[in-house]
Amino acid sequence: MLGKIFGILCLVALVFGGICGNMTDVANAIPDGAARAVEVTISLCGMMCLWCGLMEVLADAGVIRRLSRLLSPFLRRFFPNAYRTGEGAEEISAAISANLLGIGNAATPLALRAMEQMQKHNPDPTRADGEQITLAVLNTASVTLIPANLLALRRAAGSSDPFAIMIPVWLTSCLCAAMALLLTSIPRFFSKKGRRTQKRK
Amino acid sequence: MLETVSALAMPTVVVAVGLLLLFGKSNYFDSFLRGAKQGLQISVNLLPTLVALMVAVAMLNASGATETLSNLLSPVAAHVGIPTELLPLLLTRPFSGSASTAAYSTLLEQVGADSLAGLCASVIFASSDTVVYVIAVYFSSVNIRHTRYAFPCAFAVMLFCIFFSCFLCRLWFF
Repeated sequence: MLGKIFGILCLVALVFGGICGNMTDVANAIPDGAARAVEVTISLCGMMCLWCGLMEVLADAGVIRRLSRLLSPFLRRFFPNAYRTGEGAEEISAAISANLLGIGNAATPLALRAMEQMQKHNPDPTRADGEQITLAVLNTASVTLIPANLLALRRAAGSSDPFAIMIPVWLTSCLCAAMALLLTSIPRFFSKKGRRTQKRK
Repeated sequence: MLETVSALAMPTVVVAVGLLLLFGKSNYFDSFLRGAKQGLQISVNLLPTLVALMVAVAMLNASGATETLSNLLSPVAAHVGIPTELLPLLLTRPFSGSASTAAYSTLLEQVGADSLAGLCASVIFASSDTVVYVIAVYFSSVNIRHTRYAFPCAFAVMLFCIFFSCFLCRLWFF
């Protein structure tokens, strides 16, 4: 997919550069862009090391486990099947906790294991189950308490107060997560109702 | 008060881990080193992808395509309150983390981190995710082909995120 994105961007750049007569700018942008990539990586690298290190300590100290225990009473409402059968329940709350702490590389394997576990109770294995959809959509709107990478990039770009965005970020991401839960619950609510009336017939 | 909360969040985590290192029973510094090495690996692995995409985004911006598209969309965008500079970020965000990182850092360089567009972009970048990528990975890992309402819901949440971020930034900072 990245190859396609690269190809499309380059083609569009070539066509517009030709039309607008900006071909020298386009040519200059190539070495500049490559150099910028190194600059961005360097400004991210220190923070990535620090933050991944800190989070590994928290994970080893059992913070993910404790956080996921705190979250389970709330998550139980949205994943009733997973919690009733116990298949994937632990992984779901651990994945969401890892996301909350910003440990993305721990969250993805956990979430994939949860998907696998939930697949055991999926009546049609080629069709996504309601709870699987809720998990996937919720993780695309994941709430992160401290977006460390973003803060490093803002600082590197010369922001006078890179931390100023923290509260708007918390508000927005909490609302987005709530939206994700709400939107994915609507079809599930109706399909449950539909199934019940069918049974009565 | 609110400023202190946001400035304190990161030091709090650092100090909390420091206390764990000081009073913890096991040797947590080894954990730190292991994690930090992973972090280094991640950022080094990011570089090759980032080089390709930074070049592509830089070419796109230099060619005038971004400007032309932004100008075309500006009547619409201004009407709904989204700064047009966000366009490259919004187009790449659903597909790829490194492409949107490239678009985001280019945007910060162009308009400044503390401008309205820079702030909106920051909030959007932090509270949205690579929707298409995540859903594709999640469902293909268990061989599910019919994702049903997963994409519509995820895109609706992302749209909400974009509009709400811009609305909130205007309210919060200006």
